[in-house]
Amino acid sequence: MIEIVAAMERFFMNIGAMDAIKVTLIMAISSTSISAVVGITFGLLLERHNFMGKRIIIRINRTLMGVPPVVIGLLVYLLLMRRGPLGSLSLLFTIQGMILAQTLIITPIISGMVYTHASRSAPSIRQFAKTMGASKWQTNVLMIKEMKHELYFAIVAGFGRSISEVGAVMLVGGNIKGSTRTMTTAISLLKSQGIFTEGVTLGLLLLLMAFILQWMADYFQREDTTDENY
Amino acid sequence: MRITNLKKKMGDFTLDIKDLTIKEGAIHGFIGGNGCGKTTLAKLIMGIIEADSGHMDMAHLTNLQMTMTSQRPYLMHTSVYENIIYPLKIRKLPIDQGQVDQLLQCCGLLEKKNQYARSLSSGERQKVSLIRALIFNPKLVIIDETFSNMDMDSVQLFEEMILKIQQEEPITWIMISHQLAHIYKMCDYIHFFAKGHLLDSGTTEDIFLKSKNEIIRRYMETQMIEKRGSI
Repeated sequence: MIEIVAAMERFFMNIGAMDAIKVTLIMAISSTSISAVVGITFGLLLERHNFMGKRIIIRINRTLMGVPPVVIGLLVYLLLMRRGPLGSLSLLFTIQGMILAQTLIITPIISGMVYTHASRSAPSIRQFAKTMGASKWQTNVLMIKEMKHELYFAIVAGFGRSISEVGAVMLVGGNIKGSTRTMTTAISLLKSQGIFTEGVTLGLLLLLMAFILQWMADYFQREDTTDENY
Repeated sequence: MRITNLKKKMGDFTLDIKDLTIKEGAIHGFIGGNGCGKTTLAKLIMGIIEADSGHMDMAHLTNLQMTMTSQRPYLMHTSVYENIIYPLKIRKLPIDQGQVDQLLQCCGLLEKKNQYARSLSSGERQKVSLIRALIFNPKLVIIDETFSNMDMDSVQLFEEMILKIQQEEPITWIMISHQLAHIYKMCDYIHFFAKGHLLDSGTTEDIFLKSKNEIIRRYMETQMIEKRGSI
């Protein structure tokens, strides 16, 4: 057993996998957290208010949901490069720059999913809250509680996109070992070097992370719907 | 409670109520054909939608003193119990477990107290919404077709419950229903609507038995063909 653990350790150390996992998690958790706050707020506000140009904003948001990450990566690269508008911040080839790119990729996904669900269920929740005499604050709390699964799914989708992304992080991060190398960029590099076993192992780890997230979503769903009796 | 010159336009439909008085402590029935504006008026009273113009004198009633139940009530994604105590929680009122259990027992829902509320049948959902509406002792309750999916025993149970409340501490009720037998049995006053207008108001006997209005008479005849026996 000890030998297996030692072999695993050697494997991870040799390819810098532990650093890649650490960078991936820091980047994914940070960008998903920022995107969750911004995206959920934006999605709910978009559903709540009617104003001129709302349809255009919804269409732009939906377009951004499907925009190739490498395009966002290129834009962020141009923004952060030394001669770019934000060059003075020195964020290019740093984890902060990667978080910025990821946030720009994920936020439209979360806000779009939240808006789509809220436009279906929020009117009936608001009407119910009104009939119960709930205040504005209580209505907002109820809204979040009633849509918690959908909000969680939106966040999981955002996190999944973040950990699986290659193009933007490669451009903005530069795939620097021990600093900006993520699991996906490491896999890409290992493949180009013909080191397939380690690449597949990292891929399986990514799959495991996605599975755990999905399992948690299912678990919370089941907690709420036990003892069903149709 | 008095409503004057109230107007609300919704697409092609316009609700236009010149003058409507809702006497406190009485049971009122809103009747009329589909799409005549009964539910729209109820939503205006509740403040769910806002009127384009007109005036509603709510006789010092606040949002916290009134409630409304509908044909397809909204139940939260939680247990039956949590749904029932929700109005108490938001009013920061004490929860009387005995009262909750007693109400659930009366409706045959005690064993489903901790069950996921959305897994209940439509009739059971309506019962939960009625218990939830009554748990905080409101001053105005609007019941919009809430009895439609309930079995006769449950309807009778709630009718008795409402009449008991009216004997002990009368509150104001607005019942919207196409079940005229039920309306005739329960209501003190009837308000008849057609195409967004209030056609006539009066005591239940006046509207059901003595109305001279041709539209009302025709409506009563067509609606009561199957229910005449019970009336």
